[in-house]
Amino acid sequence: MTLSIMKQGRWTPFLYLLPALVIMFIFIIYPMANTFVLSFMDKTGTQSAAVDCMPGEPCWGVLENYRYALTSSDMLTALRNNASWLLLMVPGTVLAGLFFAVLADRVRYEALAKSIIFMPMAISFIGAGIIWRFVFALESGGGQQIGILNAIIVGLGGQPVAWLSTPAINNYALMVVGVWLWSGFCMTILSAAIKAVPTEILEAARVDGANEWDVFIQIMLPMIMPTIVVVTTTMVINVLKIFDIVYVMTGGNFGTEVIANRMFNLIVTDTGRSMAIAIILVLLTVPIMIFNMVRFRQQEAMR
Amino acid sequence: MKTKIWHLTLVFVVAVLVLSACTPAATATPTAAPKPTDAPKATEAPKPVEVPTEAPKPTEVPAEAPKPTEAPAPASDIDCTGVKAGDKVTVMYQWSGGEEEKINAIFKPFVDACGVQIVAESSRDAAVLDTKAKSTPPDVLFWPTTAPLNLYAAQLKDLSTLGASTENFADYWVSMGSKDGKWMAIPVKADIKSIIWYSPAQFEAFGYTVPTTLEELDALVEKMAADGNVPWSMGMESAAATGWTGSDFVQDLLLAQQGPEYVNGLISGKVAYSDAGVLEAYKLYSKWASDAKYTVGGAQGTVSTGFLDAIYKVFQEKPEAMMVKQSGFAGGEVTKKFPNLQYGVDFDFFAFPGIKGLQGGADYMMAFSESPATKALVTYITSAKGAEVWATSGFDLCPNKLSTGKYTDAQLIKKAEALYNAAGFTPDLGDTIPAPFGEAEWKAVIVAAQAGDIQAALDVAAKAQAEALK
Amino acid sequence: MKPFSSINRVLSRLPENLAIIFMCVVWIIPTLGLLVTSFRTSEAVRTSGWWTALSPKQAASSAEYTTYCASCHGSDGKGVASVDLSNPAVLDKYPRTNRLLAMLRQPVNGEAHVKNPPLPEKAADALAIMTPIQEHLQTLGSGSQESVWSGLTLRNYADAVVGYKGTQDYLTDCEQKNPSALAKFKCDLTDVFNPEGMGSALINTLFVAIPSTFFPILIAAFAAYAFSWMDFKGRQWLFALLVGLQIIPLQMTLVPIARMYASLGMQGTFVGIWLFHTGFGLPYAIYLMRNFLGSLPREIFESAYLDGANHFSAFTRLALPLSIPAIGSLAIFQFLWIWNDFLIAKIFLSNNPVLTVQITNLIDPRGGNWHIMTGAAFLSFIVPMTVFFLFQKSFVRGLLAGSVKG
Repeated sequence: MTLSIMKQGRWTPFLYLLPALVIMFIFIIYPMANTFVLSFMDKTGTQSAAVDCMPGEPCWGVLENYRYALTSSDMLTALRNNASWLLLMVPGTVLAGLFFAVLADRVRYEALAKSIIFMPMAISFIGAGIIWRFVFALESGGGQQIGILNAIIVGLGGQPVAWLSTPAINNYALMVVGVWLWSGFCMTILSAAIKAVPTEILEAARVDGANEWDVFIQIMLPMIMPTIVVVTTTMVINVLKIFDIVYVMTGGNFGTEVIANRMFNLIVTDTGRSMAIAIILVLLTVPIMIFNMVRFRQQEAMR
Repeated sequence: MKTKIWHLTLVFVVAVLVLSACTPAATATPTAAPKPTDAPKATEAPKPVEVPTEAPKPTEVPAEAPKPTEAPAPASDIDCTGVKAGDKVTVMYQWSGGEEEKINAIFKPFVDACGVQIVAESSRDAAVLDTKAKSTPPDVLFWPTTAPLNLYAAQLKDLSTLGASTENFADYWVSMGSKDGKWMAIPVKADIKSIIWYSPAQFEAFGYTVPTTLEELDALVEKMAADGNVPWSMGMESAAATGWTGSDFVQDLLLAQQGPEYVNGLISGKVAYSDAGVLEAYKLYSKWASDAKYTVGGAQGTVSTGFLDAIYKVFQEKPEAMMVKQSGFAGGEVTKKFPNLQYGVDFDFFAFPGIKGLQGGADYMMAFSESPATKALVTYITSAKGAEVWATSGFDLCPNKLSTGKYTDAQLIKKAEALYNAAGFTPDLGDTIPAPFGEAEWKAVIVAAQAGDIQAALDVAAKAQAEALK
Repeated sequence: MKPFSSINRVLSRLPENLAIIFMCVVWIIPTLGLLVTSFRTSEAVRTSGWWTALSPKQAASSAEYTTYCASCHGSDGKGVASVDLSNPAVLDKYPRTNRLLAMLRQPVNGEAHVKNPPLPEKAADALAIMTPIQEHLQTLGSGSQESVWSGLTLRNYADAVVGYKGTQDYLTDCEQKNPSALAKFKCDLTDVFNPEGMGSALINTLFVAIPSTFFPILIAAFAAYAFSWMDFKGRQWLFALLVGLQIIPLQMTLVPIARMYASLGMQGTFVGIWLFHTGFGLPYAIYLMRNFLGSLPREIFESAYLDGANHFSAFTRLALPLSIPAIGSLAIFQFLWIWNDFLIAKIFLSNNPVLTVQITNLIDPRGGNWHIMTGAAFLSFIVPMTVFFLFQKSFVRGLLAGSVKG
């Protein structure tokens, strides 16, 4: 439902879209088609994936790489981990970002406070790796603890913890790094949306005697809902392809494997499997695509 | 050919579209930074600062090398046949920082003599190499494993046609660098791995003596533990590569318990990785690596202490352990960290006791091109002059036989002796076996260090071995 | 104004202020750790926590020295004329306690060196005594108490800026007029632009990042406008596809694009890397912009059209100015992703290294000199933070309200 009053040539929309479509076609869709083809090929990308089958082992023929991507124990761990990353990190970052965007909007030192939350975004992932080394570091010999967490624990009389190599803890430790890194992103986008809520409406509600919580729930939240959806969608996608943190901190060892790390590890030595994992990753976004399409329609119908 | 035209068309279309789309916008937003039409010009002559296109080596002036037309006067022992001054050789290697300085120093006599420009790129990333190899391969590649042999066999050139001679290298080096009868990789820089670093002064203070058999080592370890000293510093954390230090350790144990034949059998697939002999080595490794009595911090310390920190722990002010099993490079790391320590007194190494063959690693030279300048570089590196320059540069060992007797550094002399006198030689398993197997092997090492179910981990590795070597 | 109203206001806002401050503290501690670390020597970093950097060192105990040594050498270390223990050169001969012990176990003039009381027999016990003695001797040598600041250094930064790859550090090499350093450096301010250092990499990075931020946003704005306010077939499908395109891992595209660039001779050109970043920035940029433009009130555009505006003027006069907050946040993130990108720059622009690539060129393969990276990480951090501050200004409240009225 667009503006019926507005005249528009049949090709005008495509004039506006074409540069974007062409560039995305070359840099994303064409390589992806290449990936799709390679996902049915063997290690070196020259023959059908079926040649990689082992006698006496299950074999999916030309879909052999997909058998690996969906049933191998490494990939099952990765899929499970990605699911818990999604469940914990997406709400974690969005809520922390929203919480901060709303609160910081109300204080004078807003710019400074927001800069602090934003700061991790400005650090490359190699830098972030070093930073968190000094948080999680473990000295298990006789020396001083140089990791701040273990220093606090030992200072309180506890036993130091191997944050990154203890399977029950390490995934959560990595997720904390993720929340630390990405909350600034959510905060910035949400903050832009909050700034776009007209002051007059908020003031009118306050004059009518609404308390701050009501103003937030009944006026602010509905108005920034589209942005919350955008931020959540983006975070779901970012978390699905989470890679840097795991690669730098544990390399996927000790049960911290994730899908994208598996894909990257295999990209040179086993192209076929790596590409099949990439396709799985893309397929995982289909529900998000459908959700966004539905919302797109609703939004158009409403305005 | 078809794809090329396709690419060209696409890019042309994009360029036209970008320009046409941007033009109205540029008028609407006059503050816009670079005008789109300026963009292509800017890239033809980008040089925002004078960044030389070669790996910057300020001391050389290759572009304006002397006497452009006539063949540069060859220095007596460097062969520049067919090379024109200003010819380029693109090289790629993993060396960076101080190591890059050393390789530049080794290139220098060649660059000076032949007037060649070396355009170098340093990258440790296999994905970067892969992308380059499949698009714009370097003329010469230096890589610390022979993996490119399997990945790019069709593109790599036979080095015997580029002026290298198999006579100058031990047979095992030649066979390691050959595939299907083509000699494609020459070891240029070698490091020995079957050694244990210790402090002679510390040993003297406690009255310990250097063991010569595996039984003596075992007895020494028990004695140290009984004295209340921690014998080993076995930390092996190395981010995504965690496991390689332990893998080296296990291989040395295998070389002592079973011998080089057995290890080569593991590499070729003749011996399954789940074999009883492998289990035996893993069990001893696990006993030491998972117990705080034998190694700093026990299992936790082994998997979470960085491999460099593990070295420092033996030589720091208050040593936390007596020995660290690490390759030859450890000596350099000790000197860098503690410059006041003296080789031979404060730190030294001994051969892994009872070992029946040496474990070593090497950086290999491979060529993707047959250009005259490439040939001249390969010829230089493998020549007597190149071997001498390498040996005196202090950049680890030079496997070229012509380097014999040319070392000047005490540590290198001792290492070279160990290398040349080795009864047998096995390459580092982790560097040689195909990656999925290597990854499974590292995982098995981690399981052993954490005193987990070793046999199960070995079964997984054996499966990966069978799959990888099929 | 009632006298207590301002206090009341402060009190009623206390919880939210506390919450903000608490969150800020939690967020800043890890980074603060890196900042402090970047001023410390690598040995200090390895052996003690960064939070100890500013606490004064504990004075070494002199009890063991008094027991075993003072009777002959005197409390000032000058008791034996031939061996002045307060001379640092004497101490330098014993870099580790085991060397000191070995020397003390050597007889002097046919008698035990330390007799009254004798050293413990067991090596471990003897070594335990050596440590405080050695530490005490060090204070004799240096004479004065070490300053709190002595543990801090600017050398990590100096090494990073000039691109030092030697075995000591840049400043020391220059002080000593080390020939290997002089071959590469001039040891004056021009070293800041040494091609192997961070200075030249900074310029390369800016030259990559600015166009790569500008182009995708511009192209995305056009596309987003079409998605929001124009009608055409397949709109919803195309938009859903855009959402999905964001997931495509860029590692998948490296080989096909590198091959294409190689066949076109675009390998290592700035245009190549601009286009690549544009391609990968577009899906998200269009997605975000379309959601923002799509949520603008319909009336604004209707009244504009009734006033005779066409699509292009509605786009430039209404849509673009109104979406400044969205463009602002988009620009920040696009700029940051490019700024922190390593892989694309490494592969497509290796001849003009950007900051992230230059840093890895400085680090030894085994990471023995990683402390240089702490300084480098902070240097590369300044520009993005400045950008954030600048773009903060584009988040202005009331932009929209004004235009609805007008």
